[in-house]
Amino acid sequence: MLHFRKTLTIASLLMFFILVSAGGASGKVLYNDTIDEGDGYQINDYVIDVAEVVPQHETVFINIYEGDSDDPRYEKLISVGSSFEFGLEGENVDITVISVYSSEIPRAKLAITITDDDIINSRTLGVVEGGHSEAELSTTPVLAINKVVDKSNMNVGDVVRVTVTVENTGDGDAFDVIFSDPPQEKFILVDDILGSPGKVDISIDDPVKKIYVYDMKATEAGTFSLNPTTAIFTNSIGESFPMASSNQPTVIVEGSADQVSASLEVEMELDSYTVDRNEDLHGTISIRNVGDAPASAVNINMIIPEGLEYKGDDPSIEIISGVPTVYLDSFGIQQEKEFSFKVKAKEVGTYTLSLENSYLYNDGINSRMQSASSDLMTNRIYVTKGKYDYLFEQPVYVYLVPLLIIGAIAGWIYHRHKQYKF
Amino acid sequence: MLNVLIIGNGQCGNRILDAINREAFGKKSRFAKFYSQQKYKSNVQTIAINTAINDLREMKFTKARDRIHIPHLHGVGANRNVGKHVFEDNKAHIMKHVEERGNFDVAFILTSASGGTGSSFTPLLIKEFKQRFDFPVYALVVLPFREEGTLYLQNAAFCLRDIRESGVDGIILADNQFLKQMGGNVESAYNGINDKIARRLLFLLDALDSEMMMVTDLGDFKTVMNGGAGLATIGFYEADSEIPIKSAIRKALSPTGLLFSTDVYEEASRSMVIIKGDRKYLGIDDISSEVEKLSGSVGHVFKGIIVRNDELPQVLTVLTLESASELENLYSIAVDAINYEKQKKERVINEKEVDRAFSQIDGMDPSY
Repeated sequence: MLHFRKTLTIASLLMFFILVSAGGASGKVLYNDTIDEGDGYQINDYVIDVAEVVPQHETVFINIYEGDSDDPRYEKLISVGSSFEFGLEGENVDITVISVYSSEIPRAKLAITITDDDIINSRTLGVVEGGHSEAELSTTPVLAINKVVDKSNMNVGDVVRVTVTVENTGDGDAFDVIFSDPPQEKFILVDDILGSPGKVDISIDDPVKKIYVYDMKATEAGTFSLNPTTAIFTNSIGESFPMASSNQPTVIVEGSADQVSASLEVEMELDSYTVDRNEDLHGTISIRNVGDAPASAVNINMIIPEGLEYKGDDPSIEIISGVPTVYLDSFGIQQEKEFSFKVKAKEVGTYTLSLENSYLYNDGINSRMQSASSDLMTNRIYVTKGKYDYLFEQPVYVYLVPLLIIGAIAGWIYHRHKQYKF
Repeated sequence: MLNVLIIGNGQCGNRILDAINREAFGKKSRFAKFYSQQKYKSNVQTIAINTAINDLREMKFTKARDRIHIPHLHGVGANRNVGKHVFEDNKAHIMKHVEERGNFDVAFILTSASGGTGSSFTPLLIKEFKQRFDFPVYALVVLPFREEGTLYLQNAAFCLRDIRESGVDGIILADNQFLKQMGGNVESAYNGINDKIARRLLFLLDALDSEMMMVTDLGDFKTVMNGGAGLATIGFYEADSEIPIKSAIRKALSPTGLLFSTDVYEEASRSMVIIKGDRKYLGIDDISSEVEKLSGSVGHVFKGIIVRNDELPQVLTVLTLESASELENLYSIAVDAINYEKQKKERVINEKEVDRAFSQIDGMDPSY
């Protein structure tokens, strides 16, 4: 009898080592320890419950649950030294009962291996006290993004309304959802009715939700698949999921666009083109938009040559970095405006006043603003000698002699006054 | 060229001196002193002396350096005795000023006989001059209006006597009483008299230092002034239109031309007649007949003729007097004035009415 027991013990150890070595050869050991009766071991959404340990028969009842179902997927009675294998997300999990122990709460020593543990969610791996009913199971939200257009056939210049909706069709809520909707080539965004919602949570209980609503104007003919709207998100336990992407509706655009442009007529007039030195010239800058699009960021710089001095007048003309400048945020179609200014003729000579103007406009086709600029130069301005300039052109003695004479007379009068003052 | 010293003593002398200086500018505007020069033919030095600084300040055409202020309050108050003391105290100062001006050929001292400073300074100044210098000194003395008061009449009487006794070489009289006939207000009358005197004196200086067709010089003037009683006056006429030279000479000898009331043909002792004008007016026969007429009465007449082209006739006469009935009249009035003043003073001394009033409280003290 004693001999038989020794033989049995040796055979069991031998088998254990064979199994261990076999398990090690076939997969990764996930667990090799005892589990109390009533507790379980969770692998992803599967829970291996140790339902009952029967030490007298050296057997263990194992129930394997999938998800939150209360009905076990597998119910097995496994004897010590025996094992059970089942499939889990494409991998094989092997459960071997090493031994059982009788105590107040019976327990079994299990060796659990898996062929590849890459699929394992480590946050859900481990012994679950209370078994499957206490397991914290992961969920898989699935975002169905739908992008629709109100028309699929249109002409250039027409406006199409794009509506993007989302629905969570998974088994768990999606968290920290961030949508992305890239701009559409050959279209101009004309009205952003419902903009980006930012980071949101989308519950499986939520109805279909509008994410984006906007109007786009077609600027070019062709057949266009609209860029998909994408979303990134996590589930309740913070697991990131592959990016969800919407469908790509097709829009067929026909015809050609009516291109528009702003065209500013800038004129500068002076009240005179011949002026005496030290006199003022009065001028007017006139601006008129003769184009069919409004202009914006209208900038007109007045280039004043040396010899002339800007003297201001109209407060709308500001001095920016020493340059008299007119700046208008916007300038409508057919709008006209005049600015008056004064320039002082400082030095004799021939000059011209120049204007450098630039502005932006939307041509109705391109999404980017178009820029335009032009220069303007006045006729020649002749600054001639001032009325009293000749006074300053004489040799020094011309001033000195009268001054000396006046000084001498004053001195003489003072001298005589002193002579006769008692 | 003659070296002439003219001194104006006191307010009257100062004003006549200023009038002379103004005339020397050529009757130009009040600004003439700033751009013009006084035009004396001779080397003329002018000095104004006064104890009243305000009188000196009134002078506008006399240089500051020619004005000597003798500090004694604001004048001597018409008191000749005070004036004499002030002069003695300041004699050295005055003479130093005079001597600094150089040597002279003749001096004229202009003064009023009636005032304080002039009437008291002039006799003493002449006396000092005669002791120090050997050039002739003539006093031009202005007599007061008769109604100016007893003090002035008294001063005039004593002043004239003192001047005559000072060794003066001659006294030229100008009488305000006689000259007031020109009318006008007080200021214009005084200015008019001053101008008259100034013009005559300048004419005389011009004549004594001019080249003449017929010569009268300083020597002749001295001879004229030595004649008579040491008293003289000057007559002058300046035609403002063409006039026969005979008429001009007569007008210069008439009361309207003289500075002192006298009957030339009765009271004059010697005479000098200086005639100036364009050659066409200087008919020798006319001149000679008038001069002869004058010499027939006064004895000797020095005659000078100055030819100045395009000038109307001007005649100056210097007349020394043997007698002066007008002066006698003045002295008889002055004697009354002196007696009146004397009696008044004696009354005050004898009666001592005011002292009696004060004597009633002798030995008493006030009680409070």
